[in-house]
Amino acid sequence: MILYMIPSSVKETLEILASYEGKARIIAGGTDLAIDLRKGRKSADVLVDITRIAQLTQVKVEGDFVEVGAAVTFSDIKKHKFLQNEFPMLTLAAASVGATGIQTRATWVGNLVNGMPAADGAIAALALEAEIKVVSLEGETWLPVENFFIRPGESKIDSTSQLATHLRFQIPQKTWGAGWQRIGRRTNLTLPILNCAVKLEFLEDLIQSAIIALGPVGSTPYRAHTAERYLINKPPTDEIIAEAGMFVQKEALPRSNPLRASREYRLEIIPIIVQRALIQARQQAIENHLK
Amino acid sequence: MSTRFNLNGLPTEVQSDPSTPLLDVLRTELRLTGTKQGCDHEGECGACTVLIDNEPVQSCLTLLGAVADRHVLTIEGLKQFEKLDPLQQAFIQTGAVQCGYCTPGMLMAAKALLIREPKPNRQQIIEALDGNLCRCTGYTRIIDAVEFAAGMTPEKTPHEMTAGEDYLRMDSEGKVTGQTPYVEDIVLPDMLHMKVLRSPLHHARLDNIDTSSVSAMPGIRRVISWKDIPGINGFPEYSLEEPVLTPESDTLRMKGAPIALVIADTEDQAQAGCKAIKIKIDPLPFTFDPEEALKPGATLIAGNNNELSSFVITQGDLETSLKASKNVIDATYETAFLEHSALERESAFGFIDEKGRVTVSGATHQPHNQQRYVSEMLGIPLENVRVITPPIGGSFGGKQDPWPMMAVALGVYLLRKPIRLVYSRLESFDASPKRHPYKVHLKLGSRADGKLTGLSASILCNTGGYDSSGRYITNYAVTAIGGAYRWQAVNLLARSIYTNGPKAGQYRGFGTAQSNFALECALDEIIEKLDLDPVEFRIKNCIRPGENTFLGYPLIETLGYKEVLEQIRPYHKLFSEEAKKFNADHDPDKVRRGVGLAGMWYRFGKAGTLKIEAQAALSSEGHYIVYCSAPDYGQGTTTAMNQIAAEALGVSRNWVNVVNADTGQVPDSNIQGASRAVYFVGGAVTKAVQVLKDSIFSVAAEMLDVPGKDLELKSDRVIVTAQPNRFVSTMDIAHEFDLMGKSRRVTGIFDVSPNLGDQRPEYLPIFITGAHLADLTVDMETGMVQVVRVVAAHDVGKAVNPVDSSGQIEGAVLMGLGATLQEEYLPGLTTGFSHYHLPTIGSTPEIKTILVEVPSKYGPMGAKGLGEAAMLPTTPAIINAISRSIHERIRSIPATPEQILSAIQRRRS
Repeated sequence: MILYMIPSSVKETLEILASYEGKARIIAGGTDLAIDLRKGRKSADVLVDITRIAQLTQVKVEGDFVEVGAAVTFSDIKKHKFLQNEFPMLTLAAASVGATGIQTRATWVGNLVNGMPAADGAIAALALEAEIKVVSLEGETWLPVENFFIRPGESKIDSTSQLATHLRFQIPQKTWGAGWQRIGRRTNLTLPILNCAVKLEFLEDLIQSAIIALGPVGSTPYRAHTAERYLINKPPTDEIIAEAGMFVQKEALPRSNPLRASREYRLEIIPIIVQRALIQARQQAIENHLK
Repeated sequence: MSTRFNLNGLPTEVQSDPSTPLLDVLRTELRLTGTKQGCDHEGECGACTVLIDNEPVQSCLTLLGAVADRHVLTIEGLKQFEKLDPLQQAFIQTGAVQCGYCTPGMLMAAKALLIREPKPNRQQIIEALDGNLCRCTGYTRIIDAVEFAAGMTPEKTPHEMTAGEDYLRMDSEGKVTGQTPYVEDIVLPDMLHMKVLRSPLHHARLDNIDTSSVSAMPGIRRVISWKDIPGINGFPEYSLEEPVLTPESDTLRMKGAPIALVIADTEDQAQAGCKAIKIKIDPLPFTFDPEEALKPGATLIAGNNNELSSFVITQGDLETSLKASKNVIDATYETAFLEHSALERESAFGFIDEKGRVTVSGATHQPHNQQRYVSEMLGIPLENVRVITPPIGGSFGGKQDPWPMMAVALGVYLLRKPIRLVYSRLESFDASPKRHPYKVHLKLGSRADGKLTGLSASILCNTGGYDSSGRYITNYAVTAIGGAYRWQAVNLLARSIYTNGPKAGQYRGFGTAQSNFALECALDEIIEKLDLDPVEFRIKNCIRPGENTFLGYPLIETLGYKEVLEQIRPYHKLFSEEAKKFNADHDPDKVRRGVGLAGMWYRFGKAGTLKIEAQAALSSEGHYIVYCSAPDYGQGTTTAMNQIAAEALGVSRNWVNVVNADTGQVPDSNIQGASRAVYFVGGAVTKAVQVLKDSIFSVAAEMLDVPGKDLELKSDRVIVTAQPNRFVSTMDIAHEFDLMGKSRRVTGIFDVSPNLGDQRPEYLPIFITGAHLADLTVDMETGMVQVVRVVAAHDVGKAVNPVDSSGQIEGAVLMGLGATLQEEYLPGLTTGFSHYHLPTIGSTPEIKTILVEVPSKYGPMGAKGLGEAAMLPTTPAIINAISRSIHERIRSIPATPEQILSAIQRRRS
C-alpha cells in the first residue's frame, strides 16, 4: 500500500521528501503521474499531495509579475479574469490541455515538471519567458523555463527531493502582444501535431523582442532563436512575419509519428502556424497600444 | 490507511490503497457501478466523469488519496429525493440516450457546467463536454438535452426536440440513473475472473505452451489451453479456421490471437497468470497488404494461397459500353482498418443456471447461433446451453464476434463456477474485429448526356488474420459497388484476402460502405468532368421499378431513391450558392468552401432463413408479452418491438412487455444484423400479436356472446364496439384461456419468400437508399477540414420511431465523419483511444435529418431498415466536397490534413 500524505506547508512537504530518502514523490493534479504509476514508468512508496498548501493555490498579480502557485490548475488559469484580458494566449493554451475533466486537475507547473516536448503549458510558459521557483531543504532558486527541460519526460526537478512551488512571468511594460496556435488530428482531447506560442514586444513600430516557442520539434519544448533574432528591429509586416516562419522551418527538427503526422507535414506547416501566431500577437499589440 | 470523504451527501470511509483510482474505488469497493470505464485509465473517454467539489474530473486519473475531505458526486447522487434531475429528464426526453454507456459521464460533465453556468451557450456546452466520447448519438441530441435542461429556447421547438410519450425509450431511466446493469456491473457470488494470453506477434508458429508454473500462483483456479476443448475448437459456421484457442504447431495469424485462458479469483491474479505462461513461438514473415499476400511466393497465412473467397457478377458487354462513353473514370480508392470503439468494451459473464445449463450473457447479434456454437464447442446438447443478451453498451457490428462468449462458456463448463471476462481497451483494439480495408479499382463511363454506360470493378477486401465472416463480404462489396443505378454492362469482382492485420469482421454496413465510397466518389468525378448536376445525374440514372438490376434480378420492395434525392435538391442548390459566395469573398490560397453529394443503396435483411418467428402472449394479469430476438445494443430495438406490438394490437405501450434475445425464453428470430430488426423481426412480432388478438377475440366473443368482428381491444379490456360499457377484462380473458386449457402464447411467422415468385437469389433483393450533402471548409495552408453542415435524407419506409431514426442517422453521420477524416487503425501501433481519433463533440457539424417515407410493401407499418445504411453516404459526400473545394481528387480515407495538403500542392504544381 502506498502512503498518501497531504501536507499543509512547503516546509512540511520538503521534510517528508527528505525523511523518505527518494521513496516519496510529489503529486499535484496527478493526471500524468497516475498513468506513469500504473504503467510502472514511475514509482513511489509515498505520494505527497501539494494541492492543499494554501500559498500554492493562488494566482497573484503583483507589480510587474504574475505568480502562479504549483497547485493552480489549467481550469483556474482559464477562469482567471486578469489572465483572460491580458494574456488570452495563455487562456487558449490552458484550454488546449486534454479536455475539461483533465484541466480541472492538471496543474500548469506540473505540466512543466513532467517535461514533455509539446506540453501546451510548457510552450506557453516558454513564450512568456517564465521562471520556476525550485525549493529544496538546501534553499531556493528561480530557474528560467528555457533551461528547465532535459529530455522527453524529464525536467530539472527531482520530485522525490525538490518542489517546484511557483511559476512567474513578467507583465511586459511596452506595447506587446502574444499568440497561440495549435493543430491536431481533432479539435480537442488529443496531443498536438504542432503547437506554437509567441510574444512580441515593440518599441515604436519596430519589434524589440520576439519569442517563438513551439513543439514537438525537438526533444524538449523549443525556442526558435534564429527566427527570433531575425525579427529584432524589424517592422511586423506580413512579409517579415512570413520570412520568420521560414526561419523556424529551417531550424526546427520535427519527427515522424505514424499515429499523428509525418516530419514532412510538420515542416510544411511550421511557417504557417508561426505566421498565424505572430499575426495574432501583432493584433494584440495593436489592441494593447490603443488601450 | 483509510480515506474519508463525502460521497453523494453522505460521509464515507474506505480502506483501499490511496493510490487506487477513484473510479475503481467507486465501482469495486463501493459497488457504485453507474460510473463507467471506457478506456484503460488514461482519461481518454470521459465515461468515468464525476464531480469533486462541483468540478468535473475523470475519476480514472484521480487517485483516492486526492479526494480526502472532498465532496464527490456520482451519477447515483444526481437524482434527489427520488426525483430525476432536470438534466436526466432532458436526456430521456430529447432522445440523447442510446446505448447509455457514455450517459452517466456526460450527465455529470453537463451538471458541472450548469452549476457553474445555468444558461450556457452552445460553445460553452461543447467545451464542457469535450472530454466525453459518445459513439451512438453524434452528440446532436446531447447538446439539445443540455439546452433543454437549462430551459433555453433553442432553434428547435420543444415539440421537435422531445420524443413525446409515443416515442420514449423503454430503458432510458435506468441508463440516466446509472442503474442499468451492463456486464461489467454484475457481480455474482463466488465469481471468478478470466484473462487471455494472446499472441504478441503478427504472424508466428506456436511451438509450445508451458503452463506448469502457473497453477501454484496465488488465486489461480485454472489454465485452459486448446487441449481442454471437448468439442470443436472453433465456430466454423461463423468463421472458417478460427480456433477458440490456438493449438500447438498451428500458426498465430495476428497480434492478439488467443493462446490460453487463465481463470483466477481476481483480474490481477489472472493477468499475472497469463504473464507466467511460457510460450515458445517462432516468428514468420508478415504483411498487412493484400497485394503482398497475393504475390507468388508469399508466405501462406491461410486459405487458398491467402484467398478466402471471391464473388463475380458480369452482365452485358462492358467493352462496347465503355467505348460508347463520352468520359471514363479509371481510378483506385482505398480505405483503412477501423475499430468500432463502442464505449463498453467486449465483455461477457457466465454461470450454470438453475436448470444446469451452461449460461452465458454478453453482447451478441445472434443469440441462437451463439448457443449452437457453444454447444458444438463443448460437445453438449443445444438445450444444455443458454445465451442471454444483457444491456449492451454499443456494438456497431463489433460485438457480433462470438469469441468472448465462447471463452467464457468454456471456462464455466470446465469449472462450473460463475466467470466474467472483460477486455481491456488495448485488448479490444488488438483482438476484436475491424472494418475490412478495401482497395477498389473502378472503371466507369457516362455518355455526354449523363447516362451511365459500363462499370468494371476489381475489389480487394483485407480480411486480416482470420475469416470472421469475411468470406461473405465479397458479395456485399459487389452488390454495393453498382448502387441504385442502371448499367448497360458490368464486370465486377471482389476477393477477400488474408493478411496479418487484425481479423476484419462485421462493421456498420458490412463491406458496403467501402464500395459505396469508391462508387459515389467516381460518379462525382465523372459528373464534374461532364459539368452536370449531381442531383439530376443520380435521378436520371436511378433503377426504375420492375426492371432488372445489374445483379440480374428485379427488386421486390419499393425503392425511394428518387424521392430521397428530390428532398436533397433544394439544400444542394442553397449550399452550392452559399459556397460560391463564400469563395468569392475569400482568398483562394487560404480557405475554400465546398459542397459534396453522395447517395447509397444498401441491401438490408442479410442471408439466413426468410421465415422469421416471434411469439406473443397474454399474461395471467392480462398484459401483453412479446417474445423475440432482436438484440438491443443501444439502437432501440426493444422499444421498436414494443411500439410495433402496441400499434398492431391497438393498446397502450405500457401494457406491452418485450422479452428479447434470451435463448431460454424466446424463439429464434435469426441473426440480428444488416439493419433487419424492424422489417423482419418487427414483421414477425406484428404477425404474432395479430394471432394473439384473434385468439383473444375468439375467447372474448364467447364470454360476451357477440361475434368477434364486433369487438375492440382496449389496453385492459375487450369491449363491444357499439356498447363500450359492455366489456370483459383481459385478466378475466386470460383466466378463461386457462379454464379452457387454451395456450395464452402464440406464434407468428413473417415470411417474404412467397413474394419472390420464381426468384431464389442468394440474398433478398430488398434495398434502402439515402443521400447526404456535406458543406465544409478546407484550410488551404494546413489541409484541415471543418465540416460545417450535413443534410442526411433516408428512405425509411415508415419511421416507427422518428426520434430514434433521426438519432441513428446523426450517430451514423458522425461515425462516417470519423472514418473519412480521423480514424485509422494501424496494426501494432494503435493501442487505444489516445491513438485512435474518434470524433468528439467539437467535431459535430450541424446535422439536418430528413426521414423520407416510401412505404415498404411487406414490412410492418410500411417500415424498412436504416441503422447501418445511414453511415454509407457520409464519407463520399465529405470527400466529394473536399475534392471539389481543392480541385483535386482525394481517393483514400482517412483524408488526413497531411493527405489533403499534399493533394493541394499536387494541384498547384
